[in-house]
Amino acid sequence: MNPKLRLLLVLVMVLGVFTTAVAQEEKRWDGADDLPVNPLPCPVKEGETPEEPPAPELKEYDGGQPVNPPDLAGKDIVLVDVPKLIGIGYFAATTKGMQEAAEELGNVTVTTDAPTEANIDEQITFIDNYITKGVNGILFAANDPVAIGPVLKKALERGIHVVGYDANSVPEAREWFVNQAEFNGIAKAMMDSMVAEIGEDGAFGIVTSTFTTPNQARWIAEMWAYTNKCYPELKWLETVEAQEDNILSFNQATTLINKYGDELDGLFGMTSVATPASADAVTQAGLCGKVSVVGLATPNAMRPYVKSGCVKSVVLWNPVDLGYAAVYVMRAVVDGTFKPGDTSVEAGRLGTLQVVNGSEVLLGPPFIYNAENIDDFDF
Amino acid sequence: MTVIEASSQALSLNQRIRALVFSQEGVLLLITIVAVAALSALSEPFRSVENFLNQGRLLTEIGLVALPMTYIIITGGIDLSVGSIFGLTAVILGYTWQNLGFPLELAIITSLIVATIAGFINGWFIVRVGVPPLIMTLATLALYRGLAEGIAQARSARGYPDWFYQLGQRDLLGVPTQLWILIVAAIIAAIILARTPFGRSLYAIGNNETAARFSGIPVGRNKMLIYAFSGLMAGLAGYIFVSRVSTTRSDMGTGLELDVIAAVVLGGTSIFGGTGSVPGTIIGVILIQLLKNGLSLTGVTGDSTIVVIGTVLILSILVNNFIQRRSGRMSS
Repeated sequence: MNPKLRLLLVLVMVLGVFTTAVAQEEKRWDGADDLPVNPLPCPVKEGETPEEPPAPELKEYDGGQPVNPPDLAGKDIVLVDVPKLIGIGYFAATTKGMQEAAEELGNVTVTTDAPTEANIDEQITFIDNYITKGVNGILFAANDPVAIGPVLKKALERGIHVVGYDANSVPEAREWFVNQAEFNGIAKAMMDSMVAEIGEDGAFGIVTSTFTTPNQARWIAEMWAYTNKCYPELKWLETVEAQEDNILSFNQATTLINKYGDELDGLFGMTSVATPASADAVTQAGLCGKVSVVGLATPNAMRPYVKSGCVKSVVLWNPVDLGYAAVYVMRAVVDGTFKPGDTSVEAGRLGTLQVVNGSEVLLGPPFIYNAENIDDFDF
Repeated sequence: MTVIEASSQALSLNQRIRALVFSQEGVLLLITIVAVAALSALSEPFRSVENFLNQGRLLTEIGLVALPMTYIIITGGIDLSVGSIFGLTAVILGYTWQNLGFPLELAIITSLIVATIAGFINGWFIVRVGVPPLIMTLATLALYRGLAEGIAQARSARGYPDWFYQLGQRDLLGVPTQLWILIVAAIIAAIILARTPFGRSLYAIGNNETAARFSGIPVGRNKMLIYAFSGLMAGLAGYIFVSRVSTTRSDMGTGLELDVIAAVVLGGTSIFGGTGSVPGTIIGVILIQLLKNGLSLTGVTGDSTIVVIGTVLILSILVNNFIQRRSGRMSS
C-alpha cells in the first residue's frame, strides 16, 4: 500500500475517533440554550393522587420596543411575514391564517416572503431588504434565536413593529412572540402518545431538524426531562438530524430502522417534514404496527398514514390559528391597545389569549389529530 | 508621416477600447450597469447609498472566499470545503473562547490558524498524495463539517463583549467595517494575480501543469499555498459572520461553496483553468448580490428571485461566449 495513502487512512481514522469521542462526551439534551426545563406532571394512574401542576411564574415584560414608531392606530398598515422558509405545508397554513386575519381586519396588508431553504443567513438578508424597502411591521419565525437578533433590533431602531410566531428570537429583539404551545405541553403530549403505543419500556429514536433549531431543541430537552421523570424505563436510542428536508428525513428514518432492527419500537418526527417522511419509511419497510410513529405534522401530510392505520396520533396546534393570532397581535400593538404589562389580548375568533413568560402570547394547549378527527382539518 | 503615426495611434486606442469592452470583465460590467440602472429605476430604496453600503456588508463573506477560489479555479482545481471550514472556524472560535476559556483575541487567532491548517491539509493531499481536488475537498467538506458538529455538540456560543461586534455590525469611516477588509484583500489579490511571477504561475499551471513543472515553476508549493490561503479566507469570512450574527452554529456556511463558485464562474474564470481575473470575480459577486437585493426590493418574492438569478447566470455566460467568439473571429 502506498505509504501516503496509508497516512491518509490513519488520519481519517484518528479524526473519526476524535469526533466520536467528543460526541459521546456528554449525552444530555438541554435545548442548547441553557434554559431550565420544566416537565409537567405525569399522567395519573389509578390509586395515585394527582400532582399539582406548577404554578405559572409571573415574569416582567422583557421584550424590546420600537424607537419612535409612527402613530398608525386604525390606519392601513403594510406587514411582511418572514417565516423560516416557504414552500412547505406548515408555513403555507400560517400564511393562510394571516390572510384570513388581514381580510377580517380590512386595514392590514400582509405579504409572505422568505428563502426556500431554512437558512439563517438568507433569512437575515430577507428581513434586511424589507427594512430598506420600508414596512410598518415584521412578522417572523426565526431560524436561529440569536443570529436573527441584530437585524430585528435594526428594525426596531427604525420604528418598525416586530412580532414573532412559531420560533422565537431573543426577547429584546422583538415586542411579542405568539407561542403556539408551551414546550413542556408538547413534550408531554408526544411522550404520553408514544407510551400509549409502545408501553413504558419501549425503545425509540428521534428524527429532528438540527440539534440547535430553537423549537425542536427545546422540545427534545423537555421530552428528555419528562421521560426521566415519568418513564425511566423507556429507552432513548438515538436522535438524528435531517434539516427540514424530505429525502434526508426519509433516509435518516430508514437508517434508524435498519440500525436498530427489532429493538426499535417507535419513531418521533420533530418537524412537519420529518414525521411524514418517518411514516413513509416505516410503511416502505413493511413495519406498520411494529414501529409506531408519533410526531408533529400537518393533517394533510399525515392523512394517508393515519387512514392506513400506520400512524395513530399526530401532535400539533393549528398553524392557521397561529398565523391568524400573529396578525391580530400585531394590529393590537400598532393600535396601542396591547402594551407591555398587559396580561391578555383579544384575537378575533380565537377570543382572549393569555400572556405568558413576560412577553409571549400563548395560543393554547396542543392538539392531537387521530383517525376520528383528522378529516375535520384541511391544511 | 505624422498623419500615419497619428492614425495608427488612434487605431491602437480604438483597439484598446474594443479589447476592454469585449473582455470578459467589460461585458460583465456592462451587464451589471444595465441591471443596476434598471433596478434603480424600479425601486427607490434600492438606489440609496445606505442600501449599497448595506449590501457591501452582506456580500463581504462571499467576496473574501471568492478571491482564493479564483486562484484555485485558474489552476484547474476546486475547493468545495470552504463552507465547512467557514463553519468549523465559527465553532472553534466559540468553543475555545467559551469552553476552553481562551481570551477572545487568542480564540480568534486560534480559529484562523485552524482554518489555514484545514486549507493546507487539502493542498497537501492534492499535491503530495495526488488526490484530485474535487474528491479531496468533497471529502473534507463532510469531514470538517462533522468536526464542527462534533465539537459544537449542538451548543452555540453567545454573549461576546461589545468590541467583538465592531467588525461585523458597525461602520468605520461611514463604510461597513468588514467591507474595508474585502476592498484591501481584493486589491492585494488582484495585484498578486496579475503582476507577480507567483500570480502568473497560476495561469501556467492551469493551462498546462506538466509544462509549468518543466519550466521550473514550483507547482506543488504554489498549489499548497493557494489552498492554505483558501482556508484562511474561509476562516476570516467565518469570523466576520460570527461577529455579524453574534452567535456560532455548526451549520454556518452550509452551501457557501456553491454561491462562491457561481460568482467566480460568472466573473469569467474558466472552470477548466487557465483564465480568470480578480476584478471579474468581484463584479460577479456584486452582480449576484445586487440582483438578489434589487429583485426583493422591487417586490419579487424569494422563490421567483432564485429563478431569475439562475436565468441571468446562464444568459450572461451565453452573451459572454458569443461576444468572445465574435471578437476572436474579428481579430483573426
